[in-house]
Amino acid sequence: MTKPNTGELDAEDGAREEIRRYAVGFFASLLLTGGAFAAVLSALPTSWKVVLVCMAALLQIVTHLRNFLHLSFSGQQSREDLLLVLFSVCLLAIMAGGTWYIMSDLGGRMHQSDETGMAAHAMPDP
Amino acid sequence: MSLDTSPVFGNLDWNVTPYTDLLREVNSSTIVGAGAASMLVLGAIAGVGLLTYRRWWGPLYRNWLTSPDAKKIGIMYIALALIMMARGIIEGFVMRAHQATALGTLTQEESGLVAPDHFAQLFSTHGTIMIFFVAMPLLIGLINFVLPQQLGARDMAFPVLNQVSLGLTAAGAALVMISLLIGKFGTGGWTMYPPYTGIDFSPGEGVDYWLWAILISGVGSTLTGMNFAVTIFKERAPGMHFMRMPLFCWTGLCVAIMLIYAMPALTVSSTMLVLDRYLDFHFFTNDAGGNMMNYANIFWMFGHPEVYILILPAFGVFSEISSTFSGKRLYGYTSLVIASMSIAVISFTVWLHHFFTMGQSAGVNIAFGIATMIIGVPTGVKIYDWMATMWRGRVRITAPIVYLTGFFLLFVIGGLSGIILANPSIDYQVHNSTFLVAHFHNVIIPGVLYGMLAGIHYWFPKAFGFRLSEKWGRITAILFVGGFIFTFMPLYVLGLMGMPRRSPTFQNPDFMPWMYVAVLGAALMLCALASLAWTFWTSYRNRRALAVPGGDPWNGSTLEWSTPAPVPEWTFPHIPHVQARSDWGEMKRAGDPWKAPEEYCDIEMPASTAHGLLIAGASFGLGFAMVWHVWWLAVLSFLAIPALLALRGMRVIEPRIIPAAQVEEADRRFRQQVANLAPVTRAEEETERNRGVPDISEFAG
Amino acid sequence: MSETNLYPGLNLGGGHGEAHEQAESTVFGFWVFLMSDLIIFGILFASYASYLDPIGMAGGPGPQDLFDMKSVAIQTAFLLVGGTAYAGVSLAVKYETGRAKVIGWLLVCATLGTGFLFFEVKDFIDQAGKGGLPQASGWLSSYWALVGLHGIHVLSGIIWIGAMAAQILRRGLDDVVKVRLSMLGVFWHFLDLIWVGIFSFVFLVPLL
Repeated sequence: MTKPNTGELDAEDGAREEIRRYAVGFFASLLLTGGAFAAVLSALPTSWKVVLVCMAALLQIVTHLRNFLHLSFSGQQSREDLLLVLFSVCLLAIMAGGTWYIMSDLGGRMHQSDETGMAAHAMPDP
Repeated sequence: MSLDTSPVFGNLDWNVTPYTDLLREVNSSTIVGAGAASMLVLGAIAGVGLLTYRRWWGPLYRNWLTSPDAKKIGIMYIALALIMMARGIIEGFVMRAHQATALGTLTQEESGLVAPDHFAQLFSTHGTIMIFFVAMPLLIGLINFVLPQQLGARDMAFPVLNQVSLGLTAAGAALVMISLLIGKFGTGGWTMYPPYTGIDFSPGEGVDYWLWAILISGVGSTLTGMNFAVTIFKERAPGMHFMRMPLFCWTGLCVAIMLIYAMPALTVSSTMLVLDRYLDFHFFTNDAGGNMMNYANIFWMFGHPEVYILILPAFGVFSEISSTFSGKRLYGYTSLVIASMSIAVISFTVWLHHFFTMGQSAGVNIAFGIATMIIGVPTGVKIYDWMATMWRGRVRITAPIVYLTGFFLLFVIGGLSGIILANPSIDYQVHNSTFLVAHFHNVIIPGVLYGMLAGIHYWFPKAFGFRLSEKWGRITAILFVGGFIFTFMPLYVLGLMGMPRRSPTFQNPDFMPWMYVAVLGAALMLCALASLAWTFWTSYRNRRALAVPGGDPWNGSTLEWSTPAPVPEWTFPHIPHVQARSDWGEMKRAGDPWKAPEEYCDIEMPASTAHGLLIAGASFGLGFAMVWHVWWLAVLSFLAIPALLALRGMRVIEPRIIPAAQVEEADRRFRQQVANLAPVTRAEEETERNRGVPDISEFAG
Repeated sequence: MSETNLYPGLNLGGGHGEAHEQAESTVFGFWVFLMSDLIIFGILFASYASYLDPIGMAGGPGPQDLFDMKSVAIQTAFLLVGGTAYAGVSLAVKYETGRAKVIGWLLVCATLGTGFLFFEVKDFIDQAGKGGLPQASGWLSSYWALVGLHGIHVLSGIIWIGAMAAQILRRGLDDVVKVRLSMLGVFWHFLDLIWVGIFSFVFLVPLL
């Protein structure tokens, strides 16, 4: 929300303002998507590429939430929705992160012959 | 098996009933199987006969099955749960009876009442039924009935969705029930771990029954969670701030959160297993890159929050009854709220303790072991709060208080054995033994079962207008407590002696004395079940003497006690303006709580609809057709669901209007009646003088 | 609290009275439902990651053999433009510029969604031709399940758009329909969000 709605809303003005918001969101998403694809095609080191793709995805998700789904900390309902989304993301992080933690540990211990390093960390010498 | 799938009947043929087994071979196992199927058939015939004889089909359809009223939906949930509970308890008894006769020798391995495969079906259905079709409908039903009334709302946020949820749960329950008569149920336990339950090791319909029952009812539960959450967030009466909500509503909110975020995990794990079984995917197979450990991981991501979904509403009930029946304000409201919410969130961080022994490294186990021990802390806080609530109160030993006392004694033991199991190194010793079986029954029975039965006893007058017999209520409660102790305490000992869970036979004669004690306990549980049924029946016969038209038989302090009993469909003639926590109690303190509202207005209620019934029918058809590979029916049922939704979307649905005059007349009659009834003191609460109008001068809570 | 900023933007604004208040709890309920859906996707993402190793691929074809970046880019473009096009629906409803415009924009969204589905299905068929069937390995199972589930969501979105167009034609833009259009908007944008995750973590990262 750039400015709070105040009962009387001028249709023309409001519409133009909202179209601008959508347009900003659209071009930002376009840029971030293009950036992610470009990063993959570039000659950067792999770890850099991963970081760039992740950053682009994160930023794009924030853009969508802000400009298309109109979540924000101001405005009663959009705030409530945003808190809901943030809470869900926390729980999802626990669940997805936990899965990754558990499954990679198990993977490391199951397949120690063909994984490098991981098994050595997980299994102390007898 | 799939070689001779008929295009019309799928895999169905005449050989799938237990009667064919009985004809093939007569032994105790096939007799038990055919007997169970006969009970189902005779029960269904008796039900249909009764409905026809009393001409109840019309009223049943019009007033119940098509009603979007949350209170009626709640009652239907509870009725469904009690029917399923009867089956679950009987199965429990059969299992105990089997193990009491299952001492085998090395030469003669099979012995006992039922065959090993039959025994495996018994523990699988028992677990599935008790968790998904007894505990869940009980608590969802109770929340449905109580939540809107306590919040001062007319109904749930989405009444028709609520009806659909009930329909989906009932469809799942029907699938499990019909597996008694048609085909077999799975043998993988209530968790159905692959790869054993994959298509390679469990061909046939058994696992599919479980999968479709769980998937269908799971969607229903997710939708219910949504409904509860939105109701609590959006439909509270004016002035009902969050920190004024009764504790039961808070636990309802916790349940909603957990249903919303935990049920999807079950949906995912079950769907993956469906894909594995039907389309040869490789999520959990032994070969081709499958990883069955991921099933345990995802399943318990649901499974642990599920445990707290079950227990928290019971905690809510105990909060209400400990305060009401002690005539005291609830001690530590804020701490109880914080404890409930902490449990709800922490419950998402402990799931690995269900598979400590799967092989991950010690560091992972420790992380989840610590989280598990932490979750015991808020639970402890709650127990102390309830005890402090009762401390120096004028406690009336009503049936709910007997349950609460049993809960105090037994749940603490169960919780402590849980803390013991939370230690991975100890868990390695006793996992998969009957010690574990004793532990989880020790938390679930005193927690969920006692809590829900206490809640039913407490709110029954609100639903039907008469109290349940206190005498028989107490007898039932004592039988459930005694039955529990005798059935499950021996299992702790047996577990420590090394008896694995789910074993159809064993060779150690030292187990036998404990087995006999346990079967005695199981018999007591059966008596408790009979006594519960008798409580309902005898109270129904005495309904005139037990009637409480005043609507407030226990001198309660929350909003739901301000209305008549039975509560009218609109609940409140005028949506209350809440001034304080336990608003009804405050009004009693201020004197003259039964003041009529200044004006009456027309009330909009959602119109009755068969939508839920149709969706339930379609999803049952889908589940049954998928189990038996009747593809045409599956496709038809599947397409019917979006078609029903789309058709309903096209219609403009007008709410039903209850005219102000009707509301006013009913309400004035109620106020008049209250004024004419003699107030009853707490000391006489159990006598026939209790007409639901308490002596408000006694009110201190 | 002024009622006008209950649902800024997507939604209806103060002039729409009852629909606006009804939107509050209904659309909030739909958000809750989507969060439940988000967990489903999240767990599938985590599973996909856990099968993404040589054991999970079990000697079958891997990302390098199967994924076609150009096609993924085309699908992304379709979905991004299709998602943004829903702005047309939202604004047309909000500023009451007429039924025809609402339906027109809905059709634009549906068309772009169909374009996305066309390329997605084409990809699936190509991959199956190269031995990338879900029956081939655990990793492929999780890939098909995750991307397929998103595709099913897009398909349901298109069907929902059709149903809404029919409702607008039959019932007009009454309050209930407006609220449903808000929900459809949330759903349609949500599909975009999930796709951002899919093209980044399912397609791009494994190709690195």
